[in-house]
Amino acid sequence: MEIADLITADRVIANLRATSKKQALQDLARQAAQVTDVHERAIFDVLLERERLGTTGVGNGIAIPHGKLPNLDRLYGLFARLEEPIDFDSIDEQPVDLIFLLLAPESAGADHLKALARVSRLLRDKSVCEKLRATDNRDALYALLTEPSTSRAA
Amino acid sequence: MDSIQSVNLMLLIAAALVLIGIVSSLVARRFGAPLLFVFLVLGMVAGEDGPGGLVFNDYRATYLVGSFALAVILFDGGLRTRVSGLKGALAPSAALATLGVVVTAVIAGGAAWLVIDDLSPLEAWLVGSIVASTDAAAVFFLLRAGGLRLRGRIGTVLEMESSTNDPVAMFMTIALTEILLAGGQTATWVMLSRLAEQAAWGVAIGLGSGFAAVFVLNRIAMPTGLHPLFVVASAVLVYAVTSAAGGSGLLAVYLAGLVFGNRPVRAYPSIVGFHDAATWLCQIVMFLVLGLLVTPSSLVRYALPGLAVAVLLTLVARPAAVWLCLLPFRFDAKEKLFVSWVGLRGAVSIFLAAIPMLSGLSNAAVYFNVAFFVVLVSLLVQGWSINAVALRLGMALRRTTPSVHRTELDIPGQTGRELVGYPIVAESLVLLLSKLPEWARVLLVVRDNEILDGSRVKRLRAGDYAYFLVPPERVPRLDRIVSPSSDVTRRVAHLVGEFAINGDAVIGEIDRIYELGADEEDRGRTVDAFFGARLKAPPVPGQRQDLGKGTLVVRAVENGIVVRAGLLLEELVDDMIVAEPPRRRVSWPRPGRLRALLKRPRRPI
Repeated sequence: MEIADLITADRVIANLRATSKKQALQDLARQAAQVTDVHERAIFDVLLERERLGTTGVGNGIAIPHGKLPNLDRLYGLFARLEEPIDFDSIDEQPVDLIFLLLAPESAGADHLKALARVSRLLRDKSVCEKLRATDNRDALYALLTEPSTSRAA
Repeated sequence: MDSIQSVNLMLLIAAALVLIGIVSSLVARRFGAPLLFVFLVLGMVAGEDGPGGLVFNDYRATYLVGSFALAVILFDGGLRTRVSGLKGALAPSAALATLGVVVTAVIAGGAAWLVIDDLSPLEAWLVGSIVASTDAAAVFFLLRAGGLRLRGRIGTVLEMESSTNDPVAMFMTIALTEILLAGGQTATWVMLSRLAEQAAWGVAIGLGSGFAAVFVLNRIAMPTGLHPLFVVASAVLVYAVTSAAGGSGLLAVYLAGLVFGNRPVRAYPSIVGFHDAATWLCQIVMFLVLGLLVTPSSLVRYALPGLAVAVLLTLVARPAAVWLCLLPFRFDAKEKLFVSWVGLRGAVSIFLAAIPMLSGLSNAAVYFNVAFFVVLVSLLVQGWSINAVALRLGMALRRTTPSVHRTELDIPGQTGRELVGYPIVAESLVLLLSKLPEWARVLLVVRDNEILDGSRVKRLRAGDYAYFLVPPERVPRLDRIVSPSSDVTRRVAHLVGEFAINGDAVIGEIDRIYELGADEEDRGRTVDAFFGARLKAPPVPGQRQDLGKGTLVVRAVENGIVVRAGLLLEELVDDMIVAEPPRRRVSWPRPGRLRALLKRPRRPI
């Protein structure tokens, strides 16, 4: 599972403007609706439902909201870099400015978990996060996200 | 008969002082006072101006004790340094140990020239040189015995620096003393060539004798108890031979220790164990003797200039040197600030100050007392604050921890494996991992007073005592995996990509999203009720329970109710283990191979 399998360049939002967690999730749901053909409201509800179980703000300014939708044909990723950090109720209480949204079909099983693992491994690399924060160019962000892990790990 | 009585008396005093030192370490620890400072003060109290009233003015004896102690301490420092961890630290510490010392000496010399009357520039430079090097004994002591764990390469840089910068300071001190004695000038190139000679001999004899000692130890069968003694005697021999040959004994003995500690050797556990004790004894004795040597009443006269030099050294000279030397190495400001602050002065400075004294240089008392004062201030202020500063600057990996209590058993011959035992506590990181790293094997587990075969134990539990078979160079890593620390647990869990789950979340909901395969009876339970049903005692942070393929860990408890848990997913944990393979030597597997590695069945613990 590679990041490139989850995301395309047009699903990268270089400077999302949001003032709250709810608004950010709403915006992301709207964007996700356009690419997945699933109703915006359904996506938003699924994300909100997941947040009710516990925050997906995993710390260091990063959130990985995710959820499962019955009518999805495959895994969808969406990345947003926020213009201003927002409160995300994160475990480390830090405001969030990098969000990777992951939507999975109902029976994605292990693929869902692998995708989550891949995304969290990417975003726990501090140097990657710094670079992501430093640019607001969509193509540059996409390139950073999908850069093969070999060069990062070395 | 009198002489016999006096010997008895000397023994009595020496033993009593060491015992008081040991006991006072307990008291000091309780108050967080820097131990080396306590030893030093103890020596002063026992000395001529204190209630002890012991008159001790023997600089030669001090020099002897100091040389011996430093040789043992530096060897021990090398012994415990992992070469694999040196990468990225070598160049910065080399810069600090050479250029850094010179810069520090010049600026500190300038400070001394400003604040002390009647010093010629050359004499002031001598003062600067005496206090220019950071002290390996103090740095090792504070970074290791204090249980402080530093982030990244910072700790290694500091340790390397302190073990390798003495030659330059010592050289400058000796050279300046000679120049001052001759009352004239010596050509710069003579000085430089002699410095090169010192370093060359130090490196050559150090490395050579390190390999030689390993060879001899592994080839010759000695009675078991003699291995550690052989090593200590070798260390002192290396120091003496190198110094006699005109090399830097301190550098040589550190390098010998480095080689020795990074080669497979027989009886390694007993050697390390013995060195633990020997190093402690050397620290105590050296600082006690230095404390005895000084005359507090004459020290007071130098309090003001001494304090001024100490302040300027700490706040100006050291930071300037650090910033300059680390310029090419991409350290951030906080790291440089921390490296500056850990410019600990210690025994080496006092020891160096004895050189002009032994050479009968005029003004020698000034050098000695100023140096002593600088050390006193450094040990007290920096020693006391190092933990707080490390935390404040985000350099510490965790708060002070009880060091891991590890049992080591020697395996006869050279199997490249060591048998180590650890108590497993609730906060042990190993409980968090679903699989052990491939290089570690559980041999046996003592659980509820029963001895279980390691291969039959599926999972380690809190309260177990587990024996692992590991390659010796991995032992520090295993220490980290087994060490009990909530900070580490949280941090790594965080790295793993743990997701927060509220205490009132319903298990069925979680299972729907992650398809973990939770038990039917758990589905209706909240996370709190889930722990309530599984745990026999009230929940405590760190406790974990399997939830199908995943694991729930208690993270926060309020009034006996789990308010937050963490969900660890097998995939995420696997991901972490594979993401942290044995570093450096092994080339990174391509993603395809990575997946293959993941799928390869590994024995669960």
